[in-house]
Amino acid sequence: MTTTTAGTWSKVGRGFRGAGTRLAYGFGLLIVLMLVWEWATVSFPSLFFPPPSKIFESSMQLFFSGPPSQLFLTEAVTVDVAATVGRMLLGFVLGSVVGVLVGTAIGRSLLLRQLTDPTVEFLRSIPATATLPLFIILLGGTDAMRVAFIAYAVMWFVLINATSGVASIHRTLIDTGYAFRIGRAKMLFRVILPAALPRIFAGLRIGATVSLLAAIVSELMLATNGIGYRLTLAQNMFKMADLWSWLVLLAIIGFLLNTAMEIVERKILAWDTLSRTQA
Amino acid sequence: MTIASPRTDTELILEVADIGHTYGSGDTAYRAISDLSFSITTGELVSIVGPSGAGKTTLLRILAGLLTPTQGSVSLLGKKVTGVPEGMAMVFQDYSRSLLPWLRVEKNVLFPLGSEVGSKQVREQLAREALHSVGLDGHAHKYPWQLSGGMQQRVAIARALAYRPRLLLMDEPFASVDAQTRSGLEDLVLRIREEYGMTILFVTHDIDESVYLADRVLVLSKPPATLVENVPIALPAPRDQISTKEDPNFVHLRGHVARLIRAGGPVDAAPIA
Repeated sequence: MTTTTAGTWSKVGRGFRGAGTRLAYGFGLLIVLMLVWEWATVSFPSLFFPPPSKIFESSMQLFFSGPPSQLFLTEAVTVDVAATVGRMLLGFVLGSVVGVLVGTAIGRSLLLRQLTDPTVEFLRSIPATATLPLFIILLGGTDAMRVAFIAYAVMWFVLINATSGVASIHRTLIDTGYAFRIGRAKMLFRVILPAALPRIFAGLRIGATVSLLAAIVSELMLATNGIGYRLTLAQNMFKMADLWSWLVLLAIIGFLLNTAMEIVERKILAWDTLSRTQA
Repeated sequence: MTIASPRTDTELILEVADIGHTYGSGDTAYRAISDLSFSITTGELVSIVGPSGAGKTTLLRILAGLLTPTQGSVSLLGKKVTGVPEGMAMVFQDYSRSLLPWLRVEKNVLFPLGSEVGSKQVREQLAREALHSVGLDGHAHKYPWQLSGGMQQRVAIARALAYRPRLLLMDEPFASVDAQTRSGLEDLVLRIREEYGMTILFVTHDIDESVYLADRVLVLSKPPATLVENVPIALPAPRDQISTKEDPNFVHLRGHVARLIRAGGPVDAAPIA
């Protein structure tokens, strides 16, 4: 009686059933939108909105017309994309480590929490992007400045989530550790951090997105390479197809980054998801 | 394999001397425990029963070294307790929060066992034995949250057993499981006590449970909790959920304990039928 034909649309959940179906429909919409864009831009040519086919063409030229010795990758990839991704990853890792360390320390102590809460709330309210001029004055137009800026932007999200994750660990869990006389290191690495990991990971997910954003912003000023630099260059030279190519590439990088985080999360936090759905 | 002192040995294990505990200070001060003294010798199973909110959990946290009493002292095996003492294990009421949800059952049991206990093989053997004792042989590779409440509490008991404590503290361990499961777990406590020769301090608010399990029941008053009476339970072993509970002595003892709790102080002993 409740058999659904083909199982493509679930009336109960008001969503698509099955990951495959979901992907097919999701990407289907993307393709349809691109076709509409193609049709619209070919029918009504605009200088600012080149058709996708043109963007694809310019992307191939921009990214994949290099020498065979470099697997046909151009300098745009080996220099600029590499620079941006490198800064992003380094800044993300540094910001995350500092965020987890400081956040855990604050989360463990009620006194420290009460003491630092106004300061943290105040400082994190400054839009991170607005601090770029300060970083430039302090560290100059260097790579170190860019990495420090990215790490700073990432840190707040990780710090705040780590603090709340550690602070909300149930007392019984901590007492269990104490009652069995496990050492301080074991308490930190095998009780506190795993217990706070679901929250910490939520911070890392936002942090990853922010790291890409901050990397691009940091390259808009005083840069000699990087995707942000190439974006300003394309803007100044009015190379619309190039500009769009970089935007599409950024969408792909962001998508891959998010997917990677999702895969890692699914792997190491399976217990959390399952314990909440099964218990 | 039982490594335990014989039951006839009357070595003093736990000595609680005149402890008191007050939370806070000034106008908002709350006195949870007042002038409480008792002791436990090797091999005993003592239950502590008292009205809800009688400071039973406070007492257990003090005994476990998780809380320093504002007055008096606790000694374990002749050594004054400052911080969490060696040779003591605890089973908490809230099993779902006491087990680590990211570790499988076997790893949860192994968790407190450090390298000082022995090699990996020795520790795994201890864990296997403990899981066998609580009847969870086939569940070592499941996660705690895949098990029922009663089974989760058995994992927590196995963890405490594998730790081989001299004194096992149990804080209302069966308060959140259903009645059927509860009688099964009570009998499990009696069985592991025989098997391991374990000394157990069992805190509960359930009068039947306190009498059924124990050699002795310590009745606490309403807060500030103090000892109302030390009631010896001279019921024959082995105990049985049906025959022990219809024994006139059991009926008398549970009535007596219930009266003590209701009165919150000493009562005249009713004559034994």
